[in-house]
Amino acid sequence: MAAGGSEVILSIRDVSKSFPGVKALDRVSIDVRRGTVHGIVGENGAGKSTLMKILSGVYQKDSGTIEFDGEHVEHTTPHQSMQSGLAIIYQELNLVNTMSVGENVFLGRFKEMKGMRGTHARARELLDSIGCKVPTTRLVSELSVSEKQMVEICKALSFQSKLIIMDEPSSSLTGEEMAELVKIIRQLKEKGISIIYISHKLDEIFQFCDIVSVMRDGRVVDTKPVAEFTRNELISKMVGRTIENEYPPRPHNVGQVVMEVRSIQTHKLHDISFKLHEGEILGLVGLVGAGRTEIVRAIYGADKARGHEVLLGGKPAAIRSPRHAKDFGIGLIPEDRKLQGLILPFSVESNISMGSIRKFSRLGFIRRSLEKGIGARQVQALAIKTPSTRVAVNNLSGGNQQKVIVGRWLEISPRIFIMDEPTRGIDVGAKYEIYLLMKRIVEAGGSIILISSELPEVLHMANRVLTIFEGRITGEFQPETTPVDEIMKAALGLEGGAA
Amino acid sequence: MAEVAIHAGRNPVARAAQAFFRDYLVLVMITLLVAITAIVEPKFLNPRNLVNIMRQFGPLMMVSLGMTFVIIGGFIDLSVAGIINLVAVVTISLIGPLGQVPALLAGMLIGSACGALNAAAILTSGALTQAEALFLTFGMSTVFSALALLYSGGMTMHFWDIKSSKAMFETIGAGTVGPVSVSFVIFLVVLLLLWVFQTKTTEGRAISLTGGNKTAARLSGVRILRSIFVIYVVCGLMTAVGAIVLFSRITTAAPVIGAGYETNAILSVVVGGTTLKGGKGSVLRTVMGVLLVILMSNCLDLLGVSTYLQVVTKGAILVLAIWLDNRKQV
Amino acid sequence: MTANSIGARVSGNGFGGRLYSIVMRQKAFVAIIVMLVVMLFAPTHFYTAYNLLDMLNSTSILLILSFGVTLTIVAGGCDLSIGGILVVSGILSIKLQDFLPMGAAIALAVLFGVVVGFVNGFLSVHQKTEPFIITLGMGLLLTGIAQQLTDAHPVPAKNPAFMMIGNGDFHGVPNLVIIMVVCFVLALWLMRYTQFGRNLYAIGGDYEVARYSGIPVIRTKWMAFVISGGCAALAGVLLSAKLNTGSSIYGDLTALVVNCGVVVGGTSFAGGIGGIPQSALGLLVFGMLDNVMNMLAIPSYYQVLLKGAVIVAIIWLDCFAQKRKREFV
Repeated sequence: MAAGGSEVILSIRDVSKSFPGVKALDRVSIDVRRGTVHGIVGENGAGKSTLMKILSGVYQKDSGTIEFDGEHVEHTTPHQSMQSGLAIIYQELNLVNTMSVGENVFLGRFKEMKGMRGTHARARELLDSIGCKVPTTRLVSELSVSEKQMVEICKALSFQSKLIIMDEPSSSLTGEEMAELVKIIRQLKEKGISIIYISHKLDEIFQFCDIVSVMRDGRVVDTKPVAEFTRNELISKMVGRTIENEYPPRPHNVGQVVMEVRSIQTHKLHDISFKLHEGEILGLVGLVGAGRTEIVRAIYGADKARGHEVLLGGKPAAIRSPRHAKDFGIGLIPEDRKLQGLILPFSVESNISMGSIRKFSRLGFIRRSLEKGIGARQVQALAIKTPSTRVAVNNLSGGNQQKVIVGRWLEISPRIFIMDEPTRGIDVGAKYEIYLLMKRIVEAGGSIILISSELPEVLHMANRVLTIFEGRITGEFQPETTPVDEIMKAALGLEGGAA
Repeated sequence: MAEVAIHAGRNPVARAAQAFFRDYLVLVMITLLVAITAIVEPKFLNPRNLVNIMRQFGPLMMVSLGMTFVIIGGFIDLSVAGIINLVAVVTISLIGPLGQVPALLAGMLIGSACGALNAAAILTSGALTQAEALFLTFGMSTVFSALALLYSGGMTMHFWDIKSSKAMFETIGAGTVGPVSVSFVIFLVVLLLLWVFQTKTTEGRAISLTGGNKTAARLSGVRILRSIFVIYVVCGLMTAVGAIVLFSRITTAAPVIGAGYETNAILSVVVGGTTLKGGKGSVLRTVMGVLLVILMSNCLDLLGVSTYLQVVTKGAILVLAIWLDNRKQV
Repeated sequence: MTANSIGARVSGNGFGGRLYSIVMRQKAFVAIIVMLVVMLFAPTHFYTAYNLLDMLNSTSILLILSFGVTLTIVAGGCDLSIGGILVVSGILSIKLQDFLPMGAAIALAVLFGVVVGFVNGFLSVHQKTEPFIITLGMGLLLTGIAQQLTDAHPVPAKNPAFMMIGNGDFHGVPNLVIIMVVCFVLALWLMRYTQFGRNLYAIGGDYEVARYSGIPVIRTKWMAFVISGGCAALAGVLLSAKLNTGSSIYGDLTALVVNCGVVVGGTSFAGGIGGIPQSALGLLVFGMLDNVMNMLAIPSYYQVLLKGAVIVAIIWLDCFAQKRKREFV
């Protein structure tokens, strides 16, 4: 098989996919040539992982066609796609931790391999072919991320894969390990195997990709040989925005320092320190897994981080649990509103009132009349669309569910709001309402720490932005005055970005 | 990722019917049983029989009410049988040496302490799921039962063994206040207290929230660890009350007196409509559940069904009830 | 995260930490060593061939039970109905001999267990009901059936050949031990050398990954319950043969002891780890505990207490070890 041929191994044509309220892919078309390394870049939410999940069979596309190796494909399970020669190595690796390397490579194919001996022997061959020295009997749980990836690559090879998709493979690798991976990728290329390489690390894209596609907002913006791109061009295409009226005017109400965080130190975070001002929206920008949620959870007392200090209004505050945080006037809107934020079978009213029980009770007894008032009040104030406050919150749309959580907190008027992905999975109209809410909060003197994977959202709403990369603060910016590219670079861990 | 608005049904009538049967199948079954019994065996409607039914309310009712809290909180307690054993043998033995009221208080204290031990085991091990609690409390049951055996030496103690006065207990067991039994009055008082606790106090609300979604509750500032502690102590306390009513009624306390109560209590709670998934539920529903279970036993008795077959039926209904409960769209 | 890294996290890499991870990894081994050492100093007949063989004989039935249960626990579930299956099939095997030849009676009794296992599997795997509670309910249901069948009186066996199965020996080795060893070998082969067994490990290790890899997760896990039921039924038949009666009293505690024994040996409720030899070792701990307590003439009620305490401790430790692996959100 000739490498770098002009034959197309994977042809994606006009593939679209929508989820309720969100259009994840909009007529995406990409051609991957045999024996090439095809990079795909884009921000969080650009649609890369949705596309990959459709290719590998986890999701079904709504429309469009996919042709793999000359044949029309409609993969319905990941296993099917593996068998047809299309393998995907996810960021959250798909291995069974409690089993050995050899068994993981041939998971479910024990009989084919003629038992343990055959399994380990063939696994050994595959590992050797990519130069990995890990013993096949070692448990996957004892491997480093790099070694686990090699196991996944062997798994793909064992299916005679013709196309391997690697989703953010380098996010947890050391420099040395990365060099190993590059070597392997080149080896695979020589064998005629095509690779789709999804990454934020532009260095890597430029280092060993042949062609790059840039995705943004569910569309492919451009596809060109790597040599024809400049770095800046690539970044611009990743973040360029056209739509204007998505955001309300930015609030400008920044006052005194209201909270100071010193030296958060966990096994993932390194020496996180920053200040928050009254009336400010502070954005935390970074890749998935950079540590943003861990930071806010540490501040909020949700995780057991010790040794750091939180100062509120200049005075140290011992926050050891969410209850303490609440008492100190900090509220958290969690990342996953269904699992962490709401009690789905309970009523809208209960979900709103659950944060302010003390407010509607006297001497340990609940006053229903007061509680009803709370529910009604917040539903009105936030224009929550619900037939009544007694309805189970499960029945509400995403945006309204989020408003319920916000309403819960507004009842006790915290000084500091932590919002972790507040507009995830919410349609455009509802998003705007949430932005307005945020504006109202800070204009009344509150502060918001905003975590969002949608860069434009943060850039339009935040007064100040901290970039987080691999557990460290890599930069502090004013989005109003700083070019987007600089902020992006800092978030990607590249040079630039003043503290 | 996917957002779901209001569920769209296929045929709304079919869906409603399906939901009704799923939620109320057992209720329907038992109602039918009662109806059939009333027709086939007229003795059922005899006032004496009805009084008999009321008498059985006591022990199972108390334990089931306690169990309700644990289940609303999202957990389960399989140690109630052991607690009954222990409380019964210890309390009855203390009536002579310590006097009636101290013995009573001691019994309630022991029940609460057992509940506290359960909570301690669960909280310290970090096992905050129902499955793990199930196993831990099952284990604790054997410990409590063993302690009961040890304490009593395997001997059953009778009221007639007690030289001093046991009038209070005899009243609890068999006394009447006008047309109703004392134990019924006790039941009403306890029910009122528990109902108020569950629906009207902040702690009751906290328990419900904990059962609904531990994570969301915790992040909203609810003290879930305290709630977990409370539910087990309440259950232990109620079980102790149940044990006292039980041995007062039958005037003996054998160290195996509690056998089968955990099954019956869970059955009563589930049949009553409180879901094992936690969060939603009510003591009033449990009262209904206990009533149904007792009615079922009564009917089967009158129809001449052997005791063991009744156990089989109860087991089958338990399995059925759990299965249906699991399928409920909460 | 392995037990080693857990140990390191808990008490550092010092002696305390290493000791912790050794104890956690080899709970059964440690327990057995402790008991063996204690018995060295006790003036009893513990260390005689007769006693050791007898100990093995008594534990054989529990061991056979554990092999089946191990399959379900490795797959991430558990089976608490084994006590109920045990008693009912034991009773059936005797009662059916009134009008069927012994072989047929035994076969039907075992078939009964298989059917119950099938129902357990349906409810736990297909219907996704929590296996802990649903098999517990089944067990209780079956205990009731057992009581019904025997009217609470033990049913005596009349067939001397049947008695021989449970009490005879082959050149000095008790029949039960031989049967147990055969089951051991079969179960070990199944878990280690067949696709089915390896799939169970995958399912228990990570259900979603197993599913993505094309393993028929529902069918496989279901089968584990079926086998567990069959094993329990076999154990029940053998118990009846040994005691020469069918009785309904052995149910509840047995289920708990066997499930815990499996966990002691190193098969965790979380699934995916452990196996037949580990479970056997774990059950031996309980078997040995019984024997040791008898030898030391510990009064029977204290024995029950000690056993209960040990059970709680084991479950607690298993939960505690899982705690480290969980992220409490």
